[in-house]
Amino acid sequence: MNALLPLWSFWVRTSRQWPVLQTLAPFVPVVLLWQAVASWGPFPPAFFPAPMDVVRSFGTLMYKGILPEYLGDSVARLAAGVAVGVALGIPLGLLIGLNRRAYDTLWPVVLFFQAIGDIAWLPILIIWFGFGLTTMAFVIVYTVIFPVIFNTVLGVRSVKIELHRAAQSLGAPPWRILTEVVLPGALPNIVTGLRNGLGYGWRALIAAEMIVGTSGIGFMMFDARRAGSVTEIVLGMIVLGILWYIVDAWVLAPIERATGRRWGLTQ
Amino acid sequence: MKSLGLKNLSKTYYDLYEGSHHTALHDISLDIPAGEFVSVVGPSGCGKSTILNMVAGFIPHSGGEILVGGEPVKGPGPDRGVVFQSFALFPWKTVLDNVGFGPKMRGVPKAERDEIAREYLAMAGLSHAADRYPNELSGGMQQRVGVVRALANKPDVLLMDEPFASVDAQTRMTLQDELSRIWEERRPTVLFITHDVSEAVFLANRVVVLSKGHVLADVPVPIERPRVWDKLVEDDAFKELSNKILALVRSA
Repeated sequence: MNALLPLWSFWVRTSRQWPVLQTLAPFVPVVLLWQAVASWGPFPPAFFPAPMDVVRSFGTLMYKGILPEYLGDSVARLAAGVAVGVALGIPLGLLIGLNRRAYDTLWPVVLFFQAIGDIAWLPILIIWFGFGLTTMAFVIVYTVIFPVIFNTVLGVRSVKIELHRAAQSLGAPPWRILTEVVLPGALPNIVTGLRNGLGYGWRALIAAEMIVGTSGIGFMMFDARRAGSVTEIVLGMIVLGILWYIVDAWVLAPIERATGRRWGLTQ
Repeated sequence: MKSLGLKNLSKTYYDLYEGSHHTALHDISLDIPAGEFVSVVGPSGCGKSTILNMVAGFIPHSGGEILVGGEPVKGPGPDRGVVFQSFALFPWKTVLDNVGFGPKMRGVPKAERDEIAREYLAMAGLSHAADRYPNELSGGMQQRVGVVRALANKPDVLLMDEPFASVDAQTRMTLQDELSRIWEERRPTVLFITHDVSEAVFLANRVVVLSKGHVLADVPVPIERPRVWDKLVEDDAFKELSNKILALVRSA
């Protein structure tokens, strides 16, 4: 047991120096299990590829430039869709959250359309706009906008009445209350909405690309199914997971830390 | 600093469920000359916080007039600074920016309002906390910031709504000592709402006892200043006056 201690100490020191090791470590047993099933399991390689097959496929697709191009297409679509969804969702959320009449009129409508769901729109969208960008754009914006609206409304309503009153009695006119009190007060919730919106939007995009796409990661995976390449399908799945992890850990989590947690509004 | 006058002030609610009018405050008249400290005490539900909310302009009054320096007021405004029981500091602003908020709304440039804020923070012994966020401070320190934020905006009248009710007993006495000292230095016009009789007496020039929506008594406090708890806690005149007002409140 004592012989293991220096080894453990070495791990603690290096993983502190390279935090990425801490992220990767949990995947070591997953990959080993995968390799074991591929080597000794009953499945033929064309049906259940081994880790190295996927790595090789990654190398090939990178070399051919297909993967970077498709990845770029997917990410650009997501970014544009999220930007539009946020640009529409936050003002709508502010309006519904601040104005009683807007709440009474719009809230039931918002709930209704939220329940329809993104994919459920595809049949009619394909008839209206065909297989293409318009359809995909609609689906992403539609998916992103609801979590952003919901969380913005929640955030606006979570700002205590005393803070409005304090600002008023310190001389703040209504529009300054919006920028100085309502927006920062709602920001932690808005970030949560953005986080959910991005997550849902990403999934909706992949689904849309599979059905109506001509490029992108979702298209690549569905196209691989037609060609019978399980390796590329698995590669697509892994790329999705990694990409999401990067967006979450490098973009969203730091925003959350810098806002709500710093102010004591969230844990 | 200006005077604060309430003339025949009343507040009636319409109860939607019962379908009838309900009088919360009835014919309240009160004059606070410029530079005077008046405490309002009374049992819970007597309408004391309603008075403050109406004077601050947070809720409309049903009848009568509210005059600041003789001018009737409508809605909230920077002429009436408010200190809240819940502190109501902006969690996303540093202590310095909280205190500088009023000047910022008046359009005072950043460097100048920082200077104002630092000056007021120094007055409350808070210079070291200028760059911290409210959630990093204790309740007592947060309310010091609350008081200083209201004062830094140079209001005509200071309205305080049970400002020390949510801090512990020791801190409360320290805060009362400090508020008394600050009042003596700057002589603001103060309307102070509390349910704590000894706090009301300790701080005020006059104590108004409220009962069931009307003024039951208006008692002057002739105790000399400067007042500090170390001296007053065993003072006979203080104890006698406190007991007298406590009896009035309990009879209310």
